[in-house]
Amino acid sequence: MYEGKSILELHELLVSKKVTPLELAKDAIELAKKDTNNAFEYIMESEAIEIASKLTEPEANNLLWGIPFVIKDNMSTKDVPTTASSNILNGYVPVYDAAVVEKLKNAKAVPIGKTTLDELAMGGTGTSGHLGMTYNPYDESKTRLVGGSSCGSAAVTAAGIVPFALGSDTGDSTRKPASFAGLVGFKPTWSRISRYGLFPFAPSLDTIGIFSRNVTDAAIVTEVLAGRDDRDSTSSTEPVGKYFEEITKPCNKKNIAIVKEIRDAVKDKEVLDAFNKTVEELKKHGYKINEVSMPNDVLASLFPTYFVLSCAEATSNNANMDGIKFGPLSNGSTFEEVMSEARTKGFGELIKRRFVIGSFALMKENKHDLFIRAQKNRRRIVDCVNAILKDNDFIYLPAAPSIAPKATDSSDRLSDEYLIADNHLVLGNFAGLPSITLPIGFKERMPFGANLMARAFEETSLFQVSYELEQITGLANIYAKGGRK
Amino acid sequence: MEFEPVIGLEIHVELKTKSKMFSSAPVAYGKEPNTLCAPLDMAFPGTLPTVNKEGVIYAIRVCNALHMSIDNVLHFDRKNYFYSDLPKGFQITQDRRPIGSEGYLEIEIDGQTKRIGIERLHIEEDTCKQLHFPAFTLLNYNRAGTPLIEIVSKPEMRSGEEAMKYVEKIRSIVVFSGVSDGKMEEGSLRVDTNVSIRPKGSKEFGTKVEVKNINSINYVQKAIDFEVARQAKLIEEGKPVLQETRRYDDKKNETVAMRLKTDSVDYKYYPETNITPIKLSDEFIQNAIDSCPELAESKKNRYIKEHGLNNYDASLLVSEKAVSDYYDEATKYSKAYKLLANWINVDVASYLNKNVISINDFPLSPEQLAGLVKMVEASEVNSNQAREIFAKMLEEKVDASKAKEMLGITSQISDTSFIKDAVNAVLEENPQAIIDYKEGKARALGFLVGQIMKKTQGKINPKLTSDMLLEELKKR
Repeated sequence: MYEGKSILELHELLVSKKVTPLELAKDAIELAKKDTNNAFEYIMESEAIEIASKLTEPEANNLLWGIPFVIKDNMSTKDVPTTASSNILNGYVPVYDAAVVEKLKNAKAVPIGKTTLDELAMGGTGTSGHLGMTYNPYDESKTRLVGGSSCGSAAVTAAGIVPFALGSDTGDSTRKPASFAGLVGFKPTWSRISRYGLFPFAPSLDTIGIFSRNVTDAAIVTEVLAGRDDRDSTSSTEPVGKYFEEITKPCNKKNIAIVKEIRDAVKDKEVLDAFNKTVEELKKHGYKINEVSMPNDVLASLFPTYFVLSCAEATSNNANMDGIKFGPLSNGSTFEEVMSEARTKGFGELIKRRFVIGSFALMKENKHDLFIRAQKNRRRIVDCVNAILKDNDFIYLPAAPSIAPKATDSSDRLSDEYLIADNHLVLGNFAGLPSITLPIGFKERMPFGANLMARAFEETSLFQVSYELEQITGLANIYAKGGRK
Repeated sequence: MEFEPVIGLEIHVELKTKSKMFSSAPVAYGKEPNTLCAPLDMAFPGTLPTVNKEGVIYAIRVCNALHMSIDNVLHFDRKNYFYSDLPKGFQITQDRRPIGSEGYLEIEIDGQTKRIGIERLHIEEDTCKQLHFPAFTLLNYNRAGTPLIEIVSKPEMRSGEEAMKYVEKIRSIVVFSGVSDGKMEEGSLRVDTNVSIRPKGSKEFGTKVEVKNINSINYVQKAIDFEVARQAKLIEEGKPVLQETRRYDDKKNETVAMRLKTDSVDYKYYPETNITPIKLSDEFIQNAIDSCPELAESKKNRYIKEHGLNNYDASLLVSEKAVSDYYDEATKYSKAYKLLANWINVDVASYLNKNVISINDFPLSPEQLAGLVKMVEASEVNSNQAREIFAKMLEEKVDASKAKEMLGITSQISDTSFIKDAVNAVLEENPQAIIDYKEGKARALGFLVGQIMKKTQGKINPKLTSDMLLEELKKR
């Protein structure tokens, strides 16, 4: 009944007592139960009802009061099973809430479920979790990906079940599925939102991500989540902006860069047309569009650099999962046997492959040629991005080469279309920049998006320009009505 | 052939900070297993390390005591390996940039000072404690994450004795600086030794053997001496010294092979990205140094220079921090430094030895002991009486004055006119003794004192009496 509604719309209904948080939670839970996209790891029915029942006095100044949301299952939730869609964590019930979960609970938002992901957030397809593929709600034939790794959160938001969802973003794990699911997908500046309780994939790249169906909602949630948290010593003490209040003010930063090599790597004509149309409109809104260039070898190195660094970090970050402290208990007469059985059984093949690659890159004899070289190249990539952002306020590009691919599609992993157009969002992770994807069009009834990136801690202006772009496209608050039992 | 031992030590010191190095769980020894754990200590997914400032301050203190250069940016790395006692599957440590580098300490060997170089000091965290049973192993995470510093010496020691003195010195520094209990028996100070031998005069190194599990300072010397002799025997017999890890068996006084060591362990070090580099201001470093309690060497020098103690007494006082603290406290109540030192080093020490207790459990407070010393200093009681009083104080747990009263000891008479009368009376009675004294016969003085004591039943203050006697003799 309340599906597809935005935070602001629901807030109005709640404050005017046209609906109660409990009714909203129950409604969302009903929709969640009918989900056919394989988007939920766990529906927090009793938990949500308990929380929502206590919310009786509407808080007019608290936009998140009583608002239902979902959590990617790689965030720690106290007393609620958390598996990161990996068998190695089956049965694991954390003893603490992640900082973002705690903040949303404190803001009296109502968590209604934990969502699927690519196993341990490693992957971009939404097919590698232990429950199998998560489907794109826009594709009733259930053949298209929703993208990953935050597949479940993207699918739940795109199906209109909740107005916003928590994701995470290490390479593009929030912003890419947002493009495939017609959503706003936002990743903040690295260190802007506490990572305490987010299962680490590659901490130097990891950020919390936010899905919503309009830019304003993303700004509202970001404002609540941002800020220093002493439990994450990397979190920033930089003051948090008034993202929501200032979003409708005109953006006074007007220089937008388009990296032409990346744009040109996109071959899909509809995507390019829609993108170019928005560019023309932005010009009309007073933005200055500057075509800039990045060296081809730098662009071609994005994916390999990302892969080496992220796998190297991942192998260490997931070394705690050894079957001893949590997760299914394994047999063995020595600790090596116990650990080895737990890890052999617990991890999927793709994960093991990444661990082997990461380990290989850190080995004494390879470290210099792989890990350290990748670190140095990251520096070089970041220098390129920062050079662009010296004279430009934003970088604007298509978020993905095309609409969501089919699960059976295979891409040529050595093509520019794959290496550049499909992987350029990682620039934001390398440089730790705020970055947002929002829908700009449809093709074959499937949405696709564009991405804006800004300088570190310039979330306020990034939301402003995104808000203007949303006015231009008119693609706010869209959702897929299909995909229900 | 004559061999020269080459010895290097790696010492792990547990810091007695209030909380763990990277989590908020408290640090304590001997508590109920698995009650001192934060989620991070059990490596629950999503937990993050935060650096314990106190741990950094403690590390800086030790760096300073070891004359090391102190890095003004803190960097942490991960040492990756799988082991059942390692919760996270990696240890947070400092690989690339240890907080301290290039220092030294000095030891005394046969009256000569020898400088031992120290390569590095880095901060890391402890593993959890394992308790092995035939069919299973129990894990105690209370210890997991306890701050450690590792002090790596250069291979510059040449005998078991030098190594032992080095460990003693490190122990003294970490205990006096207040950063650790330094108890080898409880594992808060752990010594791993690397021992090799080579023909005297050679510049090449022999095959290095690591000896672990040495849990007392005395065993450091014994274990190394045994290992040196073992290696020498092997070489003389034409057998190879294997590169291995051995443990010391104190019951048999020998080292026992544990496992062959290969160079192939690859810890895949890489930066700890959950802790961004932390700039340490000059002020922070200076405050850490300034806040360091006085070290043994400085205390000893102070006792000698300012308190007039001899080297022997001063050294005894600083051989244990608690003893020197006791002395320092007592000096707040009495400035009779030599007497205090003497009482602590002799009478208190023998009581402690007899009862096998540490000075922390000694029943008399420094103030109480100082009370007794004050009586002695004022010559209110003689030394035999003082010992009786000391025993009574310990027996009845009372102050010196109360003990004295219980023993019925009356104070020595210090009334100068009374003493003067007694002195003159005795002089009148013994004119020959006066003549003897004037002629330089030393025993005349002793005779006169004896007569005076006899006349007064020994109740007058002997010091005052002898002063007075000399004065009166001068007049005659």
